[in-house]
Amino acid sequence: MKPTGIWRVAPLLACLGLLVVWQAAALALRNDSFPTALDAIRAIPSILGDKESLINIMASLRRMVIGFALAVAISVPLGLMMGRSRAVAAFFNPLLMVIYPVPKAALMPIIMLWLGVGDVSKTLVIFLGVSLPVIYHSFEGARAVEEKMIWSGAAMGLSTVQRMFRIILPAALPEILTGCRTGLVLALITMVTSEMIARQSGAGNILFNALDMGQYDTVFAMIIIVGAMGICLDTAFERIRARLVRWSEPSFNMPLSFS
Amino acid sequence: MKAVPLRSDAKPKVAGAASVMIEIDRVSQVFKTSTRRDHLALSDISLKIEDGAFVSILGPSGCGKSTLLYIVGGFVAPTSGTARMRGRPITGPGPDRGPVFQEFALFPWKNVLGNVMYGLLQQGAGREQAEAQSGELLKMVGLEGYENFYPKELSGGMKQRVALARTLAYRPEVLLMDEPFGSLDAHTRTRLQNDLLNIWERDRKTVLFVTHSVDEAVFLSDKVVMMTQTPGRIRQVIDIDLPRPRVRTDLLLDPRYQKCVVDIERMFDDVDSGGSQP
Repeated sequence: MKPTGIWRVAPLLACLGLLVVWQAAALALRNDSFPTALDAIRAIPSILGDKESLINIMASLRRMVIGFALAVAISVPLGLMMGRSRAVAAFFNPLLMVIYPVPKAALMPIIMLWLGVGDVSKTLVIFLGVSLPVIYHSFEGARAVEEKMIWSGAAMGLSTVQRMFRIILPAALPEILTGCRTGLVLALITMVTSEMIARQSGAGNILFNALDMGQYDTVFAMIIIVGAMGICLDTAFERIRARLVRWSEPSFNMPLSFS
Repeated sequence: MKAVPLRSDAKPKVAGAASVMIEIDRVSQVFKTSTRRDHLALSDISLKIEDGAFVSILGPSGCGKSTLLYIVGGFVAPTSGTARMRGRPITGPGPDRGPVFQEFALFPWKNVLGNVMYGLLQQGAGREQAEAQSGELLKMVGLEGYENFYPKELSGGMKQRVALARTLAYRPEVLLMDEPFGSLDAHTRTRLQNDLLNIWERDRKTVLFVTHSVDEAVFLSDKVVMMTQTPGRIRQVIDIDLPRPRVRTDLLLDPRYQKCVVDIERMFDDVDSGGSQP
């Protein structure tokens, strides 16, 4: 159902409300480390207008996209295979159960030690952060595929590999994309975290450099920028997702009454 | 794939002349239960199904009748014994045996036309040809005009019509129907039974039909295979010598039909109460 009227502008109103509260609180507290909303917003153009900062932000995005894409490309087939083969699941499940609760950023020091502070380490952390939810949801999605749907395909002459790509993958797609959406947000989080630890370039680096130098308006401006990036990416992904799995969304139309 | 006419000429049924299509030869099936005990689901089943026969497997729930169908479909391998089709052992699923399941098992990401075309395209048919044949099949099952609907937009009866068309599309020699009308309301079930018989009359495919409804089995079949409760054994094979084409309302008044139903129902009660083996 498409939101109409007041519900369309509701998110905007909520954002505006947040900014008003922020502005009022900052004015009331009058603290150097708490700039007003207007000050923070005023600092945004100077960050986005600065070539150096733009290069940094673009480098962050690039790592994030590469890490995310690699993770999806590997995790989806792995998760699907785990969901359909007891042997594959038995092999990988314990491994993933150990990795799952470990905050991926906590692995950063070791990874930095081995792979340096460059793109490879940061992309790897993003990759790890995205992988687990995508594997998990692909696994659950594949497991839930109705056996008889697969049999129907087998009776039509689909081979095991064809069944994986042409029946299990599309049937599990809604669940897979739910995992990818979680993964996308985690990619953003691990991106910033990795740059906070390996401070060499990126959006997280700008943020923490500004903090070191006491440029609090820049700090808050960067938080707004990163947040906006997250909202834009998530919205764009949600659009694509909704399009791909329209066939599975519950509709509010009554089913046709006809035998 | 060559374009085969949708309705081949109905084979005249000559008693005793039909060849064996499916042969089930001393098939047993053992399952591991959740408590890791062996459960004998099917015990020593032997059965021959003739080309063009409509055979129902009737039995109480849990008697392994669906399992027997899955073994013929090649979806489940029997613990011992063999199932053969035209003399060749069945080792896996194939387009010569088309299943229709109680759960419909449609591909929800494909619309009605896409579902019906799926098997045809898989068999190498061209898109245009597949579309034309699928359109005709949809007309046959009464779903003309629903080509672009998605499964979630259809009622149960319509879904099963699509599933039937999807299976008929790739021209299996044998239809394997696993309680296909079991989840439908009584009125829809009756309509689909009638339509299935009408469709079957056109080309008289071999049908193996699993059901727990006595009147459904008698109304549709040439033969009813009565099974016993766990472990599933064949209790008796009953020939249904009612004239075809069958019209439901006529049959309901026919004393031969009534006697058949009552006889089998009594046997069913006997089986259900853990009655004696033959």
